[in-house]
Amino acid sequence: MGGAPAQWWLRWVAATAALCVLPFVLQPYELDLYRKLLFWVALAVSYNFLFGITGQMALSHFAFAGIGGYTVVILLTQADLGLGPAIVAALLLAAVLAFIVSFAATRLEGFYLALATLAFAQLLIIVLDEGGTLTGGTGGLTNYALPTVLGLRIDGPWYALVMVGVLLGTLAILLRIDRSWFGRACRAVRDNSEAAAAMGVDVARTKIVAFTLTSVMAAAAGMVYAFFDNTVNPPVFGIENAFLLLFMVIVGGSGSHAGAIVGAVLLKMSQDILEPVVGHYHALGFGIVVVAAILFQPKGLIGAWDNFRRRMKARR
Amino acid sequence: MTDLLELLLSASASGCIYGLMALAYLLILRPTGIVNFAVGEWAMIGAFATVILSMKLGLPSVLAIPGAALVLAVLGWLTEWSVVRPLVVRGAGHLAPILVLLGMLVIYHQAMLLYFGGDQEPLDGPFGFRRVELGPLAGTPQSFFIIVATVAVFGAVWLFFERTVWGKSFEAVAINRRAAALMGINLRLVTALAFAGGAAVAGLAGLLDAPRGSVEVNMALPLAIQGFSALVIGGVHRVEGAILGGIILAFAEDLTRRYAPIPSGLALGVTPTLLIVFLLVRPTGLLRAKAAG
Repeated sequence: MGGAPAQWWLRWVAATAALCVLPFVLQPYELDLYRKLLFWVALAVSYNFLFGITGQMALSHFAFAGIGGYTVVILLTQADLGLGPAIVAALLLAAVLAFIVSFAATRLEGFYLALATLAFAQLLIIVLDEGGTLTGGTGGLTNYALPTVLGLRIDGPWYALVMVGVLLGTLAILLRIDRSWFGRACRAVRDNSEAAAAMGVDVARTKIVAFTLTSVMAAAAGMVYAFFDNTVNPPVFGIENAFLLLFMVIVGGSGSHAGAIVGAVLLKMSQDILEPVVGHYHALGFGIVVVAAILFQPKGLIGAWDNFRRRMKARR
Repeated sequence: MTDLLELLLSASASGCIYGLMALAYLLILRPTGIVNFAVGEWAMIGAFATVILSMKLGLPSVLAIPGAALVLAVLGWLTEWSVVRPLVVRGAGHLAPILVLLGMLVIYHQAMLLYFGGDQEPLDGPFGFRRVELGPLAGTPQSFFIIVATVAVFGAVWLFFERTVWGKSFEAVAINRRAAALMGINLRLVTALAFAGGAAVAGLAGLLDAPRGSVEVNMALPLAIQGFSALVIGGVHRVEGAILGGIILAFAEDLTRRYAPIPSGLALGVTPTLLIVFLLVRPTGLLRAKAAG
């Protein structure tokens, strides 16, 4: 982080204030893009911990966001649970499923883990498509609303603040964990799992905890997403977005929290701005950026930025 | 009974397509350790190349099909040369080539989408649509053609690996890269040939599959996923595993769709379920590596 400790928390306060003020000055359409951007950034931050820091190339992150979103809506509207119990139950379900998936997948490495989680994500989409009235089929669930909290109806810019809270919570927890013993264990498992095991790190447990924790964070983000437009449908939580998330983290700089944020913000904003203008050319350019990043800048944009700053300092 | 036989014939044809896709993965995976998800796109490009060569340029199938395979071999070689080799030379991590090929997948997909649009193009099989009966077996001529062509491809690959020095050098690289290099095997050439061969086989799978449905950009991802599932089922160590996995996967899919009392949408779950079960229960696949290697 650099600088004196006082500056360090001042930056947090400033960033939080900026994120919280923005919803109240944006136009409705911009506000919609803004809160969806925050959703993507939150997912990118937790996915970066899973892929970039722990080295687990899972493609189930959006699936867990979908499990969180769908479960909370189903519990609210079809099981008549209150908001609090529904949220807790949905997070618990995501945690149990993530534990089962990661427990089963501890033996798989690299691309085999990607395939197992890809198959899991595919199965989820099939279940959502064929779930009848429970999941609303291919059209998904619509026409529900967030219940009032303590008599207050939270919507518009105020609801965007909920997403700000989830994003900052995700980031704060992961930054904290990253600096702990567990965070170093995760990096050790990524870089050389055999050496990590020799140093006394329980490799399987580290992988399971990291997978379950980040997947529950994805579920929390998915829950907030479910009440953006009061609709959830299968394509949002499908494979294509899981790959997009992977690419965001790579382009931004995998293993770096700032990199994940930069990658998600730049790629999501460029999609929102360019796609209506240039259509598929945007996606083509996107693929070229990903290939170029891996070939020429393996540490991503944040690595390029660090190099640039170091060079400027050396010149001074 | 005739119904079942007809189903088995078309399932065998599907199994051959999956087997060819699995072989495309395997040819690249064995000597290089790289899982190339872009083979699905190569299959789609192979189908489009055949559309151009046979329908637009009017070449006969006997020229169009090898021509398309050649185009794909060049594309595979170019891909290896342009994005994979720089990473290998630099000594980047083992995940980097896999990720860069995922990026190439996006480039192929979007470039084809921009050029051909999302429409479906028809592609006629070389033997038309007249129903063929061979003893108790009956089906489309394309089904028979797929099976014959797949047997030929697998036979050629088997001969290459078992009977030629080149094939042996592939296997040597697969077993121990460093030792193979020290024995004077040209790793670069083996890698380049692996990509060219894998791309050609993927292209063949795509152009053989297309006449049963249509040629469209979105045919790529299902082929990529089914090919890999077949590879995991059969095992990544043996060429025979690819076709065995393909046949098992296709039979499981088609028999479930036809006889299981579940909605057809849920039958789509057969492939991911089988993939998960095999990854967890038998990650080495059905066929193990030869000898104690």
